Amino acid sequence: MGLEQNEVSLEQIAILHNRFKQLSQNEETLRRDDLKTIQDLESNPIRYQIIEAFFDRRNFQKDGVGSVEEIGFEEFLTVMSYFRAPAHHITEEQREEIRRAKLRFLFNMHDTDNDGTITLEEYRHVVEELLSRSGALGRETAKGIADAAMLEVASISVGPMAPDEFYEGITFEHFLKILKGIEIETRMHIRFLNMDTAVFCKQHSV
Amino acid sequence: METGHTEFPSGNILASAPDISLKAYLHIFNGTEWQHNISVHFTFVSLFSLFFAVPESCMLILLGLVLGAVVLIASKKQPYQLDPGLFFLFLLPTIVGDAGYFMPARLFFDNLGAILLYAVVGTLWNAFCTGFCLYGVKMAGVIVNAGLMDFLLFGALISAVDPVAVLAVFEEVHVNETLFIIVFGESLVNDAVTVVLYKVYISFVEVGPGNVHTADYFKGIASFLIVSIGGTLVGLIFAVILAFVTRFTKKVRIIEPLFVFLLVYLAYLTAELFSLSAILSMTFCGIGCKKYVEANISQKSRTTVKYTMKTLASIAETIIFIFLGISAVDKSKWAWDTGLVVSTLIFILVFRAMGVVGQTWFLNWFRLVPLDKIDQVVMSYGGLRGAVAFALVVLLDKEQVKAKDYFVATTIVVVFFTVMFQGLTIKPLVKWLKVPRSTNRKPTINEEIHERAFDHILTAVEDIAGLNGYHHWRDKWEQFDKNYLSKLLLRKSVYHKSELWEAYQKINIRDAISVIDQGGNVLTSARLSLPSMASRTSFPEVTNVTNYLRENGSGVCLDLQVIDTVPGAKIEEELETHHVLAGNLYKPRRRYQSHYSRHFMTVGEKERQDREVFQRNMRNRLESFKSTRYKRHKKDRSQKKRKGSDAKEQDTNDKPRRNVSWQDKAVVPVAPEEDKHDPSEPDKDDDVGITFVARKAPETPKERPKSAALDVCQSPVAAPPSPTCGEKNLPWKSGVGSLPPCVSVEATKIIPIDLQQAWNQSISSLESLASPPAPPEPQHPRVSALSRLGGPLRTPAKGKSSGSGGAGSGSNTGSPSSGQFKFPTGKEEEEEGALSQQQQEMQPLMSSLRPPPPPPPPPAAQSAGKRRNPCVYLRSLVTVPPSGAEPQSRRPTQL
Repeated sequence: MGLEQNEVSLEQIAILHNRFKQLSQNEETLRRDDLKTIQDLESNPIRYQIIEAFFDRRNFQKDGVGSVEEIGFEEFLTVMSYFRAPAHHITEEQREEIRRAKLRFLFNMHDTDNDGTITLEEYRHVVEELLSRSGALGRETAKGIADAAMLEVASISVGPMAPDEFYEGITFEHFLKILKGIEIETRMHIRFLNMDTAVFCKQHSV
Repeated sequence: METGHTEFPSGNILASAPDISLKAYLHIFNGTEWQHNISVHFTFVSLFSLFFAVPESCMLILLGLVLGAVVLIASKKQPYQLDPGLFFLFLLPTIVGDAGYFMPARLFFDNLGAILLYAVVGTLWNAFCTGFCLYGVKMAGVIVNAGLMDFLLFGALISAVDPVAVLAVFEEVHVNETLFIIVFGESLVNDAVTVVLYKVYISFVEVGPGNVHTADYFKGIASFLIVSIGGTLVGLIFAVILAFVTRFTKKVRIIEPLFVFLLVYLAYLTAELFSLSAILSMTFCGIGCKKYVEANISQKSRTTVKYTMKTLASIAETIIFIFLGISAVDKSKWAWDTGLVVSTLIFILVFRAMGVVGQTWFLNWFRLVPLDKIDQVVMSYGGLRGAVAFALVVLLDKEQVKAKDYFVATTIVVVFFTVMFQGLTIKPLVKWLKVPRSTNRKPTINEEIHERAFDHILTAVEDIAGLNGYHHWRDKWEQFDKNYLSKLLLRKSVYHKSELWEAYQKINIRDAISVIDQGGNVLTSARLSLPSMASRTSFPEVTNVTNYLRENGSGVCLDLQVIDTVPGAKIEEELETHHVLAGNLYKPRRRYQSHYSRHFMTVGEKERQDREVFQRNMRNRLESFKSTRYKRHKKDRSQKKRKGSDAKEQDTNDKPRRNVSWQDKAVVPVAPEEDKHDPSEPDKDDDVGITFVARKAPETPKERPKSAALDVCQSPVAAPPSPTCGEKNLPWKSGVGSLPPCVSVEATKIIPIDLQQAWNQSISSLESLASPPAPPEPQHPRVSALSRLGGPLRTPAKGKSSGSGGAGSGSNTGSPSSGQFKFPTGKEEEEEGALSQQQQEMQPLMSSLRPPPPPPPPPAAQSAGKRRNPCVYLRSLVTVPPSGAEPQSRRPTQL
């Protein structure tokens, strides 16, 4: 909840609300199936993870656990707010906070079993799905890549390991570490601009 | 100083390239001392820019000035000018071609909106404002007399940011990518605007201002659209043609680079032919084709294209700047007007700044990552003018533009000022403003993965939010590309390759290289444990990846045969023979090539020879390792003893080793195999060497650090005396291939896909060899496994751990009979574990535990030491899933 909903402008909320209604067929709540029916999502290799993220309690509140069957507009908006662009002028701390929030979201997405670490299996799963689009390369390669990535994580986050040490998975701290190079606070966002109504709202209004 | 580093290579090029290119012209100088002088100068230039961090472009212009002055004095007449024909036909295309082809496409399109805005609106703004204001100044009577059209024309050609200058200066500044791509993209794309404005004004001037009708203005606008869009289209068409052609060049690799150069250049010429924007055409041809071409052509062609383009571009750039300097000296070509020069300079700077600020303000409404003030300053200041403006102004017809000489002089001053003064000061400015710099760091594979994930996540969220934003359309494009374009333009074999895969491959190669560089002592030694993973799943089947890798020659594969062949005892033997032969025989060097062909290169005899030499060296190295183990081991031992505290333990440990030693003898026959393994294994590993070992760690964690420490510092000693490395491998390999009991189910081993086959083969071969001697030495397998793993033995499988625990109790330790190659039962494993424990010199407990310390002391120790080294080496090279290794480390704690 690092990004407060009230930071989303009113116009954006209105737009999203319309969309919410459209998706839920004017119901109060949204279900997974509603999202799965979205046409454009069909070709998205990691659509299930993303849809799952919308129903993941961890993304609604700090100590949430597990997932829910249906979400209301508030939850929908909360998840969406993870993809808000940061305001233009923010302090370092705020930036760091936003960064953590966004990364936490990503982390939760990968950490499907909710145990605080992304295990190799989970990571493989992600990579496999990412690669699945390119067809024949397939699972084995995906595995190889995930393994290589995991090794890299291990070497970055733990450093040289003792011979009998082993690496269980990526913790959130390690996750922060390995993605240090990506300016996620400026990358993970979309433009909440409604094409239908062509409202020219200023994107970053607070 | 940092620049010194980066500049060095190009400095070299500068020192030599212009030297060559100028030689042709030097005959006029009537003397060899000129040549000498010039090369001295070039060397001076590179050295100077090296030490004083002065942009080369500045130095080159200065050099040109000096040269021009000298020539002028010598011959009274300036024979050289930057000839516009030469410039537009040859020099500019090389630079633009390089720029387009190596343009970071993603970055370019991500910022396309900003680039277009700056390029079109910004350039128009600059052109008109400069033109009108100069006219205004002229009305005030301060400067030379010329018509409005003349000034507008001049404004048009002087206002465009120049790609050559921007590249030359910004490449040394290393501002962040976004900033760079915006300025650079603008400089490329604004060509269309410049061309159109220039041509329109020329025609206006020709017909005379009085005869220009309103319709003509609209024609001008229409022609802008035609010129820009047409140029882009021509470029894209050629991009498709080029990509398509390279799809079928597999048999004629050698002309692949030729196609690339030719078609990209053709794009330029064609656009020029139709009076379209040639720069746009070439740029988009480069951008468009790169993805497919790079995938289609061979690695060598890629390298060739890359370096040839870069070299040509550097040469062209050098020539341009030098000739700029030389041309400037020729007084007959220009006329000075201080008012014009000063006012032009001021207008250019002011309007550039105003334009940037205004447009950025507008852009920031839409940009998610806004351009802040500092960016704007750099963008304003980075608006360099260059050779394009100069060439255009020289092209003016003096009959029609009376003030041409004044314009030439002004242009020269402007170019010099922007390139030299601004180019010189922009670096300190950037530093002072603390503009975020670009980093040369290569993205890690995790970052690569997440970059990809981002794309999909953002697309998905946009889709869910029902917004057809940028990501939505990019995704659509990617779909289209994947479904149609790639199928059409990519070779079948590369069609499925993804960028991630490439990154992965690169990492593997990098690892491989580092292994070889560092003698195999570093590396991907990290182990991952996945308690939950089943061992079976972790073994990748041999897939076409092997073939793929091989085809691309990506891996460092010393021993291809091993990988190729399917495991089989007979084949194995033959292979062995083959390897022995191959290893010891040099192929006779062929003196003469049987025939010469420009279009086909025989696989270099030399290359083969080199490879062989390399293989041989590797093998020798490994062998020397083996032989040196002996000595080292002794050393280690003595050292340890000195330490005192450990001495006792060592001794005790030594005894068990002795036992091992005779086992070693038994093992001896295996040695040849080992050799075979060694060369092949490291390679394989390099390719994909990833080993994950999953284990539960029931044993005390405390032990680990200790063992680790031991491994690190005393790895030689720590490694138990083992039979040859090959033997060591045996248990493991067998485990891999057939999953013998000793490998617990839970142990997760991932053998790189490529390696798998070879791995299995070697295992089987080893098994066959090893099996006979098995009965006498139970310890063998263990030892071997341990030694193979190297000093730091890692992960025990869970099952093993339990087994090891049993061993810890000491039940099996001494029994030699139990040891077999294939350990069918946990017991045997235990034994192995026990042995390993024994072997570990460091652990005092072990000695106590072991009731029957094996007798033969010195030989064992020797053998152990000897082996041990290789083990370490191998281990580092090949991350092996160490099932047996664990016992060592853990034992102590249990005990």
